[in-house]
Amino acid sequence: MIHLDEWSAILIVILVGFLPTEMWRSLAVIAGRRVQEGSELLLWVRSVAAALLAAIVARLIFVPTGPLVDIPLWLRLVCILCGIGAFLAIRRSVFAGVVVGELVLIGGAWWLLH
Amino acid sequence: MPPPSPTPHPSPEQPYAYHPRSTFLWFVAGLRESLSVPGFVLFAGYIGYGGLLQGMNFPFFAGLLSTFLVWALPAQIILVGGLASGVGLLPIALAVGLSSMRLLPMVVSLAPYMRSTHNALWKDLINAHFVAMTMWAEGQRLLPKLPPSGRFTFTMGLGIGLLLISISATAIGYQMAGELPPAMSVGLQFLTAISFTLLMIRGAEGVTDWCALAFGFLTTPFVAGLSGGADLMISGLGGGTLAYLIGRAMRRKRA
Repeated sequence: MIHLDEWSAILIVILVGFLPTEMWRSLAVIAGRRVQEGSELLLWVRSVAAALLAAIVARLIFVPTGPLVDIPLWLRLVCILCGIGAFLAIRRSVFAGVVVGELVLIGGAWWLLH
Repeated sequence: MPPPSPTPHPSPEQPYAYHPRSTFLWFVAGLRESLSVPGFVLFAGYIGYGGLLQGMNFPFFAGLLSTFLVWALPAQIILVGGLASGVGLLPIALAVGLSSMRLLPMVVSLAPYMRSTHNALWKDLINAHFVAMTMWAEGQRLLPKLPPSGRFTFTMGLGIGLLLISISATAIGYQMAGELPPAMSVGLQFLTAISFTLLMIRGAEGVTDWCALAFGFLTTPFVAGLSGGADLMISGLGGGTLAYLIGRAMRRKRA
């Protein structure tokens, strides 16, 4: 639970959310005129970026917060696997994968929580 | 007219079908492109984020502002999740900065296509703000087909459209979350995880990408207990570097 009033939350959003994020975008614009497309440096940064994103998403699945805590890990994993299966089966459609995965999760959650 | 910098993939051979005469109409064309499947996925993801904010008791307007200003869902989730679990502000800022590092290569690779014939720095900085996962993917697909004269305003339209969709979704998700039955709110919370998993799989190409995704994903359960962003350092920086080295070794072997 977060106990913050509106104004301190706004300040935190600016200082802790906006600045550390926008810094990279601005840096990219300024430095980007010099970085070579396809250079080794760019390949490495890209790879780190991909791994970071995967780790963040994995955190949402393995160590969630909020109401998801009540859902067992196996159901969360089954939901993701069904989503990937549907995505691959139905013309690599992200929409189809999301819908199928969500149906599995909501169905499972309904069954477990009732 | 050729794009200002040579890139391998996006092929400009098929030009954009619609050719408006005025700057304003390029803006409208960009806005219209935001109403697409990726836009819908974004909508769904931010509905989930709104639900997350409500579930963690984060103030409403600050939550909307976070979508407008941060405009990178993983960073926003780290921010709110970190605040909820009582991590200090400095480690959160560090983790947010680390996760947003991926925006640097995205902006670098998209910037040449977002630019019209001008070279004004402030215009580049504005358009760079719109860049996040969806904008990058859609930009790679659409922008190379556009004549350079339309690119800046088209990017503005597309970016503002995607932002409006996401801010509305944040508000809707926030307001809805309290009212939903538990099974539905669980579904809402999980939307981000599943849509991002699929977007990552769709966007991945080549050994390095797949290794990076696998290392980042699979190391997480083992390092998740570590505090202060150390887990993200190991999974992201460590996993990503390892994936890069493997990819480089494979390239050298082939060459």
